[in-house]
Amino acid sequence: MHYPFWDQPIGYGVLMATIAVFHVFVSHFAIGGGLYLVVNEHLARRSGDAQRLGFLEKLSKFFALVTLVAGAVTGVGIWFVIGLLAPSATEALIHNYVWGWAIEWTFFVVEIAAAMLYFYGWKRMTARAHLTLGWIYFVAAWLSLVIINGILTFMLTPGRWLVTGNFWDGFFNLTYWPSLVLRTGVCVMLAGLYSLLVASRLEPGDFKAKTVRLAAIWSIAGLVVTMLSQLWYWKAIPAAVTAKALQSMPTPIWFIGISFWLAGAIALGMVVLVAFAPRKLGTSVALVFMALGLAWFGAFEWSRESLRKPYIITGYIYGNGAEVTETENYKRDGYLAQISFRTGDDGADLFRHACRNCHTLAGYKALKPAFDGTDRAFISAIVQGTQHIKGNMPPFLGTAAEAEKLAGYLRERIDPRPLADIYKLEGMALGRKVYDLRCGKCHVLGTASDKSKSLAGQSTEDLNGLLDMAANLGEGMPAFTAEASERKVLVAYLQTLGKGGRP
Amino acid sequence: MTLPDYHFLSAPLWLVTVLHLLTLTLHLFAMNILFGGVAITLWSSARNRWGGTQAVDYSRLFPAATAATVTLGVAPLLFLQLVYPRQVYAAAIVSGWFWLLVIAAVIVAYYAFYRASFSGQRSGRVNLAMLALGLAGLIYVSLVYSSVFSMAEQPALIQSLYAKNQSGWVWNPAVGSYALRWLHMLLGALTVGGFFVGMMGQDNPKVFSSGKVAFAGGMGLAAVAGLAYLVSLMPYFEAIVRSPAVHALAAAIVLSLASLHFYFRKRFWISGSALFLSVFGMVSVRHVVRMLRLRESFDPASWRIATQWSPFLLFLVCFVLMLAVLAWMLWLFFGPKKEAV
Repeated sequence: MHYPFWDQPIGYGVLMATIAVFHVFVSHFAIGGGLYLVVNEHLARRSGDAQRLGFLEKLSKFFALVTLVAGAVTGVGIWFVIGLLAPSATEALIHNYVWGWAIEWTFFVVEIAAAMLYFYGWKRMTARAHLTLGWIYFVAAWLSLVIINGILTFMLTPGRWLVTGNFWDGFFNLTYWPSLVLRTGVCVMLAGLYSLLVASRLEPGDFKAKTVRLAAIWSIAGLVVTMLSQLWYWKAIPAAVTAKALQSMPTPIWFIGISFWLAGAIALGMVVLVAFAPRKLGTSVALVFMALGLAWFGAFEWSRESLRKPYIITGYIYGNGAEVTETENYKRDGYLAQISFRTGDDGADLFRHACRNCHTLAGYKALKPAFDGTDRAFISAIVQGTQHIKGNMPPFLGTAAEAEKLAGYLRERIDPRPLADIYKLEGMALGRKVYDLRCGKCHVLGTASDKSKSLAGQSTEDLNGLLDMAANLGEGMPAFTAEASERKVLVAYLQTLGKGGRP
Repeated sequence: MTLPDYHFLSAPLWLVTVLHLLTLTLHLFAMNILFGGVAITLWSSARNRWGGTQAVDYSRLFPAATAATVTLGVAPLLFLQLVYPRQVYAAAIVSGWFWLLVIAAVIVAYYAFYRASFSGQRSGRVNLAMLALGLAGLIYVSLVYSSVFSMAEQPALIQSLYAKNQSGWVWNPAVGSYALRWLHMLLGALTVGGFFVGMMGQDNPKVFSSGKVAFAGGMGLAAVAGLAYLVSLMPYFEAIVRSPAVHALAAAIVLSLASLHFYFRKRFWISGSALFLSVFGMVSVRHVVRMLRLRESFDPASWRIATQWSPFLLFLVCFVLMLAVLAWMLWLFFGPKKEAV
């Protein structure tokens, strides 16, 4: 609330994910790749394998170009983008963990310097000195993960820090160790995938087969560690968080399931590759493996970020930047009074600071289709009951008058025509649409919030009676304010639901 | 349950300030070597002034200089955001796209310098196009930084700009408040770049001459631009003159002249040290200017102090270790040579 709002058309989640997923992908490779290089250099030097040393030198060039430039700079990019998208949370993190970041910076400096010297040192340094640099690189890179992992996991499971405010309580939080093991496994897996890509460009032959096998073994080893620790990680998250996610966040849960399938696909592909075609691995196949790895990591990171909802720092700062400690102030004085940068358009200011962190009007997680064909009273009720809606949304902490103002702002930007005209629907299909818009925001069919069974045997009059008293049926329930024709088709649709039907 | 309050500094303000100024000086020194070095190499190569392979040798160093600039830039940004988050984030958000495109510009510049380095090794010729592309990226970054950090010192300007446009496509329109400052930074970079070029090419009279011209000329012009910038801050200029910053400014000027003196005598270690201290003095003056411009809206001394000594001590240990490991690695790299394969 103390900052201006960057009102850009791309969804905040999309922009953040674009930079963050790319960075974490490269930065994890930067750690695992360092280990891969130095371990293999050891083996190659011990066996006097000049061909392998040549391959490793080539790999280190690719490694330096990817990690030093894209990896390091997009890391700074995350700094830039979190300050733009979530300045309050970033400020809170910096104030609590400035020394954590400062420590990480010292490892970062060593890591970058070691990577450059290692890359340039192949021809000019003694073997022993070169290997020493390789180990320094890997240790510094992994130690930077050791530090940043504490801050990352803090955001999901701050644990005792919420009571004590102590640096170490927050740092060594509930998910710290499983996350560290998981990410270390990811580093090893990605190193295997990257070296597979470089190996795919080698001439077919024994050396290529040997290199591909080795890369596949690295990938599988990393994958095993990753998947086991992902289970550990899930168990370490407080049950209240996971239960809420299972209950009301089907998409992130689906992504977690997908991550296991992707891991299985990578493992299976690697086994097939090693068994049948290590000499023939083409670049396109290696790129498919890389894409699967990226998809796995994206799915994991996305679900991890989603699990935090409705918070950006669990129990401390909501996803829209509202601070939990300020709740009473927001409720008493209103949101607007807390917004330091105003534009003169209160509705727009409320929309930006209450909704825009996650939603756009017509793009990513669009609100327009969620409200097209509805009315201001309904929108206002939904705004005031956001915490009851599917997807673990933060509550609207402003006043009722502000909710009205925000509803007015949204109403002016949606399609006000009846749903039948907007979507060209009629009969049961229109009834389903009315249900999705008016009821389905909370009562998702097939989930714990599905109340359709309780409608069994209800007559048209009973259901109309329920709709008449909807606002009194439970906390956050909006009054049914749709026009008569929509009510009629909704009642018909509800009757089919009560019979267990799914038109 | 009372939740922890994050509005605090986890070390005394003076300590954070010292760390900020020190790390910013390191960053600026690396950036100046990079920017000035590239500009001088580009200029001299385009006019074919040096001959030989000196320019190619320089272009091999620019990726490392870029790495140093980026890496050393992280810490001062961290400490700046710690003390001035409300100012820095607000200005950055108003110019959000320009700010974010800094990352793209740095990546382009970085890869351009690598490309110039590799192609120079292969062909024996300087890749002027890549050096120019890299330099353009650096100039973009310098313009955005000047625009945003100048805006960060003018809260009322941020308010008014944001009220009109929230898209993040807002450039600081008060060009007068930062044009001279930007020019001073650029000329300062040429100065340090001249020092670097001359030092590295001390045995080549043509190269040393180029470095000398850039060093001395850049210093003179940077001094004029810097003083003009301070005078342009008229309401604050008097306060600057009356503050301890004037001593830092005087010391920085004396150190600059001393640096020049020893440079002409090719005593580069003394000259470089004086130059570094001079930049530190300028950075300190810059810090005072920021505080003066913000004094009506924000006093950094108002932060609550809640020290976190154990992580701070760990940082200190890591910092010392970092220096030791860096020295060790350089010794390994430049030490006994042997064909590795």
